[in-house]
Amino acid sequence: MSNAAKRQTSTLDKVLRVVLYAALLAMAAVYLAPFIVMLLTSLKDVEEIRSGTLLSLPGSLNFDAWSKAWSGACTGSQCEGMAPYFLNSFQIVLPAVAISTLLGALNGYVISHWKFKGSDVFFAALLVGCFIPFQVILLPMARTLGWLGIANTTTGLVMVHVVYGVAFTTLFFRNFYQSIPVELVKAARLDGAGFFTIFYRIILPVSTPIIVVTVIWQFTQIWNDFLFGVAFSGFDTQPVTVALNNLVNTSFGGKEYNVDMAAAIIAALPTLVVYILAGKYFVRGLTAGAVKG
Amino acid sequence: MASLTIDNVKKRYGQTEILKGIDISIEAGEFLILVGPSGCGKSTLMNSIAGLEDVSEGRILIGDNDVTYASPKDRDIAMVFQSYALYPNMTVAENISFGLEMRKVPKAEREAEVQRVADMLQIGHLLKRKPGQLSGGQRQRVAMGRALARRPKMYLFDEPLSNLDAKLRVEMRTEIKKLHQKLGTTIVYVTHDQIEAMTLADRIAVMKDGEVQQLGTPQEIYDNPTNLFVAGFMGSPAMNFIPAKVVEQNGSYALELQASKPTVVPFPKPESLKAYAGKEILLGLRPEMITEPQPHKEGKEFVVTADIDVEVTEPMGADTMVLTRISEAEVNCRCNPAYPAKADETIAMMFDTSKAVAFDKDSGKRIDN
Amino acid sequence: MNNNAAKAGSGATQAGRPARLSLADWMPKIVMAPTAVAAIVCIYGYMIWTAVLSFTNSRMLPTYNFVGLDQYERLFMNDRWLVALSNLGVFGGLFILTCLFLGVMLAIFLDQKIRAEGAIRTIYLYPMAISFIVTGTAWKWLLNPTNGIEKMMIELGFEDFRFNWLSDPDMVVYCLVIAAVWQASGFVMALFLAGLRGVDSEMIKAAQLDGASIFTTYRRIILPSLKPVFFSALVILSHIAIKSFDLVAALTNGGPGYSSDLPANFMYAHAFTRSQIGLGAASAMVMLGCVLAILIPYLYSELRGERHE
Repeated sequence: MSNAAKRQTSTLDKVLRVVLYAALLAMAAVYLAPFIVMLLTSLKDVEEIRSGTLLSLPGSLNFDAWSKAWSGACTGSQCEGMAPYFLNSFQIVLPAVAISTLLGALNGYVISHWKFKGSDVFFAALLVGCFIPFQVILLPMARTLGWLGIANTTTGLVMVHVVYGVAFTTLFFRNFYQSIPVELVKAARLDGAGFFTIFYRIILPVSTPIIVVTVIWQFTQIWNDFLFGVAFSGFDTQPVTVALNNLVNTSFGGKEYNVDMAAAIIAALPTLVVYILAGKYFVRGLTAGAVKG
Repeated sequence: MASLTIDNVKKRYGQTEILKGIDISIEAGEFLILVGPSGCGKSTLMNSIAGLEDVSEGRILIGDNDVTYASPKDRDIAMVFQSYALYPNMTVAENISFGLEMRKVPKAEREAEVQRVADMLQIGHLLKRKPGQLSGGQRQRVAMGRALARRPKMYLFDEPLSNLDAKLRVEMRTEIKKLHQKLGTTIVYVTHDQIEAMTLADRIAVMKDGEVQQLGTPQEIYDNPTNLFVAGFMGSPAMNFIPAKVVEQNGSYALELQASKPTVVPFPKPESLKAYAGKEILLGLRPEMITEPQPHKEGKEFVVTADIDVEVTEPMGADTMVLTRISEAEVNCRCNPAYPAKADETIAMMFDTSKAVAFDKDSGKRIDN
Repeated sequence: MNNNAAKAGSGATQAGRPARLSLADWMPKIVMAPTAVAAIVCIYGYMIWTAVLSFTNSRMLPTYNFVGLDQYERLFMNDRWLVALSNLGVFGGLFILTCLFLGVMLAIFLDQKIRAEGAIRTIYLYPMAISFIVTGTAWKWLLNPTNGIEKMMIELGFEDFRFNWLSDPDMVVYCLVIAAVWQASGFVMALFLAGLRGVDSEMIKAAQLDGASIFTTYRRIILPSLKPVFFSALVILSHIAIKSFDLVAALTNGGPGYSSDLPANFMYAHAFTRSQIGLGAASAMVMLGCVLAILIPYLYSELRGERHE
């Protein structure tokens, strides 16, 4: 190849790379734009919103919309802002994540290391639970929660999230424990350790990565849930997503987009923080959930 | 130390029978080796002895205790696994003492025991490390240490050396032999390495298709294999099987081979061939029994010299393996490297049939009495 | 595999002989029992229950007057349901195709040894971490016909720019597509990027030695080897589409009128707010049918694939 030709291809390469970077950055701008618009809007007052455009900057940093969204905005007939519902969500998410993760770990441990007749069938049956459209179970579940006397309570929502989350957590742990050699459990049995001792002393100490993945996955799923929240919660037990939707759709007086946006960011904040702090595990959970078989 | 009795143990998975009635019994302190091709059931048998799998029928006794249905922890057995199965989250010391801890041995005693085992295996400097920081050979030692610490009634070794490189394997083999001699422990050891089997075992059980083909001392197995499978499985290169015709000679029976010319060789137990007179059998002859002509053996009973067609020669240093063709079969001969055997030539070889065995062509069983 | 079979089998033989009656042997089963009961009751039991309800004329409360297939007949005579179904077709089809296209493209772009790849990837994927309700709220504002993108473009000098899809019954379903693609395309990108990183680099080298250009290498060698990733992405995206409920609730609330309803919203509205439990149950069963129609071939091929390994 002649020198001239070489230089030509390398110029072409350079141009291509510039185009490539331009395309990637343009797409990044597109993905970021909605969030930036939300943030800008939440910092403007109503007048600025009416006169400016989506991307115009606020005249001054104005956090009134944020404080109203947090503690004063009306969601339906209540006007206490997002704060109580934000707490509701934590009340639902924390126990639901803890219980479903623990159950998933134990189930995964049994399915991969203490197989018994029917345990594989059970696993396959459970997998279907990852896929069904939850509309199929809404009506019976509503009746059941009523009978149990936990309709419209956070306890009821915790139970629902545990029941339908455990399929995923079991899958995650099972796939992880499948890679732990069976000899390890055999050796421990010969050493005289029992079912729980092996779990606690041998299996759990090596489970940190999958626990992180599962907790993040469950946290995101349950925090972001709307369907169960809207179907099974009462006025004062709504999770934050339901409250946000009510806030946005409440139409007393003028539309306060700045408050809507502040409330939306508040509702998104916990999962965004988790994503930014532990993005690697979040992605691992997504792809693990994707290859769920 | 305890003896082990395996009494008609059967194991079925649904329709397939993995163990078809195993009977083995060994004395306290004996070193038993299980060999056989993969899928022969040797690992299943190990797991059954350990209690990690249930048997479908039969009994297993350790000493005088029937442990057939006892759980693994109540059998007082330690096992060394092929993958070592060290607990990755524990240090070497914790790995070794875990079994003692589970048996509620006081801490001071545990520490003393860890020290004793570490000294014996020279792993004292590794005690604070995690398995991930050890080399393959070191892990192997720790795995043995974990088994030794409990001073169980019996040890099970499941191909413990197969993940080591060749040199280390030989070293550890010697070490295991020394340990056994020193401690006098009962050991059941699975391997597919026949040198390990020959060098370590007091007795060998050769298994195939869920059955014990032969149980005997290494020398018995080597010299008197009960069938073609055992004969072919033990020894490297394998025993030669040479088609031969039973002929009557001077009122007795001998075997006729097709070397470069028809050659008649004597057989140590001619009377056993009577029923096969005029028929073809398979003559089993180890390669070291077909050599270059050796003057000191000349004229002895069971020694015959004949010309053979050479196909390939494989120098191995101490010996040269000469691949020849006799009666249409490939036959390995072990010769002195100085002997000028060349491919595609014919050369004289000395047959020593004093240890020859004969097999029925159809059943594959050894022809006896 | 061998080991699995062995273990599964060991249970089978237990029945015919004296069992070790210790608590320890029952522990695995005891531990699994709560989940097993929950799965049998809350997945399969409820599915059957909903199926039963779909054959009754239940309205505000479940009743058990069986009316055969009447509810299904009513369902498919119902204009709102037909709109919801056709919306699902349009929304699902466009959403899946756009996500796949964008996801594959971004993954390939990012796979060119890009500086700051981590940061860019983080930006593409962050929408997946937030709720569809938040997404809906944000896009409702962006797509707002008077104050949103339209106004911005006009101020920028495009006087005639009109972008009022959100209030146009014929176009509103595309608003759903835009918001959903924004949320999920980064996820498809992540799936494919992981797939690309798993492609045997020696295979690519071999293709280049054979004289294939980058473009040809991707088209003929790399992308075909990612067929399983395409397949899982397809299944996941169609699953998201069929279950889509929150996005509609937040972005359009089904409106204008019911022009942007999806089946999930139809089901919820009839079962919980319009006291038409029987009809709602029937629509839920149709949704289940759709999911199974996608899932069964997928699981079948996955299982068959596993056996081949």
